[in-house]
Amino acid sequence: MSLWVDKYRPTSLSKLDYHKEQAAQLRNLVQCGDFPHLLVYGPSGGGKKSRIMCLLRELYGAGVEKLRMEHQTLVAPSKKKIEINTIASNYHLEVNARQGGRSVLFHLLFHCFTSYFIFFFIASHLISSSFSLLHILFHLLFHCFTYFVSTVMLETRTRVVIQELIKTVAQSQQIQSSTQREFKVVLLTEVDRLTKDAQHALRRTMEKYTATCRLILCSTSTSKVIGPIRSRCLAIRVPLPSTEEVCSVLTAVCKKEGLLLPPELAKQISERSGRNLRKALLMCEACRVQQYPFSADQEIPVADWVIYLRETANAIVSQQSPQRLLEVRARLYELLTHCIPPDVIMKGLLTELLNNCDGQLKTEVAHLAAYYEHRLQLGNKAIYHLEAFVARFMAMYKKFMEDGLDGMMF
Amino acid sequence: MDEYDELFEIEDKFEDQFADELEVLAAMEEDESFKPSKRQKRGQGDDISDIEHLLDEPTTPKTKRQRQEAGVAKRLFDPGQRKAPQQSYDITPPSSPEQYDLFDTARPVRSVMDISGLATIPETPSRAPTAAPPSQHVLKRPPLEGDYITVTDSSGNRVYLRQKEDAGTKVASSRIVPDSFGALGLLTVPIGVLREQEIKRRHDQLVEESERLTELLTGSVNDVIVEPESIEDLEDIEGQMSRLWVDRFSPRHYTELLSDDFTNRCLLKWLKLWDGVVFGRERKSHPARFDRQAAGQNTSKPNHTNQNPNRFKTKVEMTEEILEAELDQYKRPKFKVALLSGPPGLGKTTLAHIIAKQAGYNVVEINASDDRSAEVFQKRIDTATQMKSVLGVNEKPNCLIIDEIDGAPTAAINILLAALNRKDGHSGEATETMKKKKKKESILLRPIICICNDLYVPALRPLRQQAFLLTFPQTQPSRLSQRLTEISLLHGMKADTGALMSLCEKTDNDIRACINTLQFLYGRGLKQVDVRTIQSVSVGQKDQNKGLFHLWQEIFQLPRTKRKRIGEGFEEAPGSGSGSQRFHHVFHLASSSGEYEKVSQGLYDNYLSMRIRDPNLQSVCEALEWLSFSDRLNQEILHCQNFSLMRYLPFLSVTFHFLFAHTHVPRITYPHSQHEAFSRLNSSRNALSTMLSDIPACIRTRTSQQILALDMLPLLLDILCPKLRPVNPQLFSSREKEQMHELVDTMLAYNLSYRQDRTPEGQYTYILEPRVEEVVRYPSLPPRRQLTYQAKQTISREMEQEKMRRAEQLILQRNPAGTLIQKQEEKKNRGSKLTSNHQQRLENIVKQTTVEARPEVDFFGRAITPKPRREQLSSDRGEKCPSLLMGKAVGNSDVWFRFNEGMSNAVRRNVYIRELL
Repeated sequence: MSLWVDKYRPTSLSKLDYHKEQAAQLRNLVQCGDFPHLLVYGPSGGGKKSRIMCLLRELYGAGVEKLRMEHQTLVAPSKKKIEINTIASNYHLEVNARQGGRSVLFHLLFHCFTSYFIFFFIASHLISSSFSLLHILFHLLFHCFTYFVSTVMLETRTRVVIQELIKTVAQSQQIQSSTQREFKVVLLTEVDRLTKDAQHALRRTMEKYTATCRLILCSTSTSKVIGPIRSRCLAIRVPLPSTEEVCSVLTAVCKKEGLLLPPELAKQISERSGRNLRKALLMCEACRVQQYPFSADQEIPVADWVIYLRETANAIVSQQSPQRLLEVRARLYELLTHCIPPDVIMKGLLTELLNNCDGQLKTEVAHLAAYYEHRLQLGNKAIYHLEAFVARFMAMYKKFMEDGLDGMMF
Repeated sequence: MDEYDELFEIEDKFEDQFADELEVLAAMEEDESFKPSKRQKRGQGDDISDIEHLLDEPTTPKTKRQRQEAGVAKRLFDPGQRKAPQQSYDITPPSSPEQYDLFDTARPVRSVMDISGLATIPETPSRAPTAAPPSQHVLKRPPLEGDYITVTDSSGNRVYLRQKEDAGTKVASSRIVPDSFGALGLLTVPIGVLREQEIKRRHDQLVEESERLTELLTGSVNDVIVEPESIEDLEDIEGQMSRLWVDRFSPRHYTELLSDDFTNRCLLKWLKLWDGVVFGRERKSHPARFDRQAAGQNTSKPNHTNQNPNRFKTKVEMTEEILEAELDQYKRPKFKVALLSGPPGLGKTTLAHIIAKQAGYNVVEINASDDRSAEVFQKRIDTATQMKSVLGVNEKPNCLIIDEIDGAPTAAINILLAALNRKDGHSGEATETMKKKKKKESILLRPIICICNDLYVPALRPLRQQAFLLTFPQTQPSRLSQRLTEISLLHGMKADTGALMSLCEKTDNDIRACINTLQFLYGRGLKQVDVRTIQSVSVGQKDQNKGLFHLWQEIFQLPRTKRKRIGEGFEEAPGSGSGSQRFHHVFHLASSSGEYEKVSQGLYDNYLSMRIRDPNLQSVCEALEWLSFSDRLNQEILHCQNFSLMRYLPFLSVTFHFLFAHTHVPRITYPHSQHEAFSRLNSSRNALSTMLSDIPACIRTRTSQQILALDMLPLLLDILCPKLRPVNPQLFSSREKEQMHELVDTMLAYNLSYRQDRTPEGQYTYILEPRVEEVVRYPSLPPRRQLTYQAKQTISREMEQEKMRRAEQLILQRNPAGTLIQKQEEKKNRGSKLTSNHQQRLENIVKQTTVEARPEVDFFGRAITPKPRREQLSSDRGEKCPSLLMGKAVGNSDVWFRFNEGMSNAVRRNVYIRELL
């Protein structure tokens, strides 16, 4: 727990550093007892998860935070063993049912602990089959109390799993009503990774079992959450902190560390991090490791992939030819194999390319990017769509430049 | 005349090369001589003579020619005996050879030329039937009396011909007539002139023949002929229309084979090599024949012995050389199996059957339709090779033909190999092998011919090394079309050569497919076949996979400019011509290949390295548009199981063809990139997930792979590289110590550690484990600051300590009671033993100094054996008092020193890490 990000993470709603009004509203929400489904969304690094955890703590008390690791093996009906890594506290257990890095099938988390609660964390990387579903359902039926299903990296392709699982969770009666809350909370993170089918499966379930079950959905944007689900949830946007807020958090952290952070540097860091608080804190710590005492014009470390992406964009702008496209393809492959998601690449490319574009070209390029990003979501092979975008941009840019030259000539 | 020389050359080689072939031809000749009579009978009796009439006309000239050729071939062996079998059925030694001899003697130049005539000479003395008359004229030594002429043949044998006697006999036969007539004055031309004329005539004849022979060599020996007899046979047997043309017109004889001559000849030759072992006396390979000539065997077939021994080493074909060179101890050829390979429909099976039949074998065939499990296979091989049919007419040795062997299981092929390599203990003479035959495990004495399409099937690998490999080349379209013409003519179909040629091309010279297509067309009532019908007919096209590279090549390469045109719109390459034709061609290829995924990958990997014509990248954009379209199609197909969309996939190839096809030969590489990218992505994902798996839960909930890869790791690795003074960690300032502590803490929290590794150069390095550095670092960027080896070493040591500390803490937390008890016990022990450290030491010293004479006490004061131990104990007690006294004396004083005499008095004790740290 020595990284500043982890060390100084707020644990209760009252301790949150920014968007305090929202925090107050959340507290009211908990206190009034009528807790709706939530859809928490906002860009990465804005503190969604922290806020949700604070909320849960507000709901269930400090026990939510004591976590430990556990390992379990499940035997699928096909006699196949599934190794599951679980994270557990006295109140919940997180099961990571990823199958040892092979064709990822399940991230199914479940847990039962005291006689009071059963918390389910589902982190599923489901692609096709749901063969271990039955087995898991048995477990579910045996001990049903309060469920806490968190789908970490839920990329499930099977609507069936979501449907059945949540249905079973929700259908089961709460045996002991002396618990703090009479409803169960299901936390689904990265809902935007859910397939449309799975989301559709979710919507009826949500409605049917509102009496016993609440969902907290967590995603980076609502655009990939289907309308029916959005309308069923209370949407809570967690925006990024402003530059000033980031600066104040940074200075506060440095003060706790006993360091002196010049405000210029703090500002620079917050700008460079794109107001992503996680990133900003990490950058600040990296700066401290590089050089202390801080100087105002210190070099701020940036992730390699950002630099690489920038260079790629420069390569695209500097020359437009099939050969260059081939080079760019190699670079795109490089980025993809370093676990950079294709939509991040697309976005990064667009921002870098826009810097090099004239006003009228900007809209067209942005339109192109949007078009191909959509294709990217529909398709499977990211490289085709990325390259298509690059080629299109090249063609457009080249034409634009040539027209410009002609204009110069006359 | 150099023509002459050439002629000889050819003839010499010809004899060597074509011996077997010629023999077969000769045999056929003999057969044929019987046939006309048969045919006559039939021709009279049959009522289908109208058809026959129609059929006969075009074919007869050819048969004539064929016969002539055969005749030529035969004459070459022994011109003297040629006529005998043709004219009269009883083979009697003719009287003519003497005449030849005479001419030879008269004109030495001609004697060299007339090889066949001369070849008899050296052998004649020892030969039974013809030996008697010539032995009088041909002498090995110069005759004692009378004139003689010496003749040397090309192998260096010198013989002497008695001139006078020759003249005498010659005169005896020919002079009688002229004499008598001369006396009568009927002979207008003098005998000398007549003789000259005769010589000239013969000479001309010979030249003509030899010319025809060369023709025969260069041209098609086995040219298409349709034997009227065979057709009659067919008409006789006649399941008529119910029979496939392929079967009806399958070749009956060696000469009718359409396949490549060289291949035919090689196989025949190989089969003939078995003669020695199968038929015993009949025939042996060339070197063996050499010997036999001297021994004077083989009286039954004189024309073989007439052959010249191979005086000149032929360089023609290595395969042939191999074939001729080696026979093993059982007189079997070196390779016991012939393996024919080639694409379907070229007549491999037919060739094998015909050659085996022709060589006098009874054909036993095993093919894919039979059960080919190991046991059955074993049984069948044994039956075929070890046994012989005693009943019935075909009392011939068996020849095993294993068809479609590439589909046979490996076990079966192993059995075949075992059969090949079976060995007898003793070196085999003929009699011995006969004995062995009765044993169960006897050697293979029958030829086996294997046939396959794909030579490189893994199961065939061991067999390949032991087999005589023959690959079938494509049939020549000219020959095939000729045959097709004949067939179509037989059925009254009009087909021009152009149409048939295009049919050949369409089917890739597949004989079977060609004839089937023809029959199909005939069956539909078509009486006229032209190019257009052929091209419009979709029959005859094989749906065979040509391989991905071929497909890519077809896509990226424009067809070569139209080939020579013979007719209107004829002979267009399938992919050439108008756009729609190319469209259909590529579309057909792409949809028949079926591997859309691979195909599109190959297109994607290669299209940018093609010559792209437009500078505005429009075609590239369009291509990518199509790629992304097909990607979405694929996704839809896989996701929704909507397989009806599959039909749209091959259009991608068509688009690429029209966008990027170029006349240049494309350089196509196999698409590795996507697979490579996939595996690398997997490895970096694995690194991340191993890292994630052991991160403590409280941090784990806040991170995911994506967050780790995008935000955390790049900066985390920077944070992990603080500036450390290169000194002993003990000397760190408190601030530095704190920093170090934090560093170790972070690394433990994120499940990172340094592992010592050895580079291939032998240097030691510390690398971060799990290997997340590879996930974060990019190749072309400047490397980040790295810690020094020493720093890493220090850190890893610190980490180890920290880990141990935590582990112990954990244990303490888990059972605090147990450890407490332990501690108390320890304390008790200590308390009971001694009060202070130096006193303990002192006591020891005192002991040692006082009781130095004691034997057999080990370092800790314990004895090695139980017996001395008791003694020791007793002695301990006994001497305790003085020692203690002394000890007290020493210990009581405040000042003491100790002299260490080269020994350490270490004490075993429990030491805990926390005491040291």
